[in-house]
Amino acid sequence: MATDYLERGAVAGVAGGLVYGLFVATVGNTFTAGLETFEHSHGGGGPVVSGITTTVASIGGGVLWGLLFGVAAFGMAYFFLEPAIPGSGATKRLALAGAGFLTVSGAPWLVLPPQPPGVEQALGTETRLAWYAGLMALGALVAVLAGLAYRRTERRHTAVRLGAMALPLVLLAVPVALAPANPVHGDVPAALAAAYRWTVVFGQLVLWATIAGVHAWLGDGDTPAVDDLDYPATAD
Amino acid sequence: MQDDTDTARATDSVYDRIERARGALTGPQIAIAVALVAALGFTLLFVQDPMLHDSLHNFRHSAGITCH
Repeated sequence: MATDYLERGAVAGVAGGLVYGLFVATVGNTFTAGLETFEHSHGGGGPVVSGITTTVASIGGGVLWGLLFGVAAFGMAYFFLEPAIPGSGATKRLALAGAGFLTVSGAPWLVLPPQPPGVEQALGTETRLAWYAGLMALGALVAVLAGLAYRRTERRHTAVRLGAMALPLVLLAVPVALAPANPVHGDVPAALAAAYRWTVVFGQLVLWATIAGVHAWLGDGDTPAVDDLDYPATAD
Repeated sequence: MQDDTDTARATDSVYDRIERARGALTGPQIAIAVALVAALGFTLLFVQDPMLHDSLHNFRHSAGITCH
C-alpha cells in the first residue's frame, strides 16, 4: 500500500514537473537570460556550456524538481501524515502543498528572496546556505504547529480554527528580525528585479498547486484504514 | 460490529502509518526511495561540476535558488 502512495506521488510530481518545465521553457529561461545582459563580470569567467545546453538542462531540471516534490511530499510525507493533515480531498492536498511551499521556498525567501542574475549579494554562499537550511527547518516546524493548532481547536468555529492555524506564522518574524543584512548590488533596475522575484514565487506556487491538483484527481485508491489490517475485516 | 469499524478508522494515526510502513516495506525499498530523493536534490542543487552546474543555472534562478 505504501508503494501505491509512492507511485501516485511520483505521477503527480511528473505532471507538476511537466507544467513547471513549460514555465521554465517559456518564462524562466528567457527572463533569466535577458537579465544576464545586465551582468558585467561573472567572476568565474563565464559559463562553460552553450546556451542550448542550458536551456534544455534547465527545462529538464524543472521536470525533475516536480518529481522530487511529488515523491518526497506526496509519495512519502503524505503517506505518514495523511491522518494528521487538516481537511479532506483536494483541501488536504492543498494543505500539504502549502506546507511544502512554506518549507522549501516561503520561509527561506523571507530572509533570502530570489535574486535575478547579475546581482551580487553581500553574504557569502556558505552563510546563505546555512541560513537557507535553518529557515527550511523553521518553515517545516511552523507548518507542523499550524496542523497541531487546527487539531487542538476541534469543535470550535471554523474562523477560530483558521486563526489558530495562522498563529504559528508569527514565528517567522524572528529570523527576519535577526538575520544579518544582505545588501545586494547590481545593475538590474529595482522594479525589474521585483518582477523577476514575483515571477519565481508564482512559478513555485503553480508547481505545488499542480502537484496537489493532480494528486487529488488521482484519488485515494484503496480505503487506507480498512485494507491489510491484522484481523479480518468485519462484514457490515 | 459497526463499533469495530469506527474504532479502526478513528485510530488511523501517524503512528499507525509508521507501523504499517514498517510491516509492508523492506529495508532496501526504503533505502532506494530515500536515495532517489537525495540524489535528485543533490544533482539539482549542489553538484559543483561546472558542466552540470552552469547548465542548470537558469533552472536554479527560476526556482529561486541563487548560488552567487
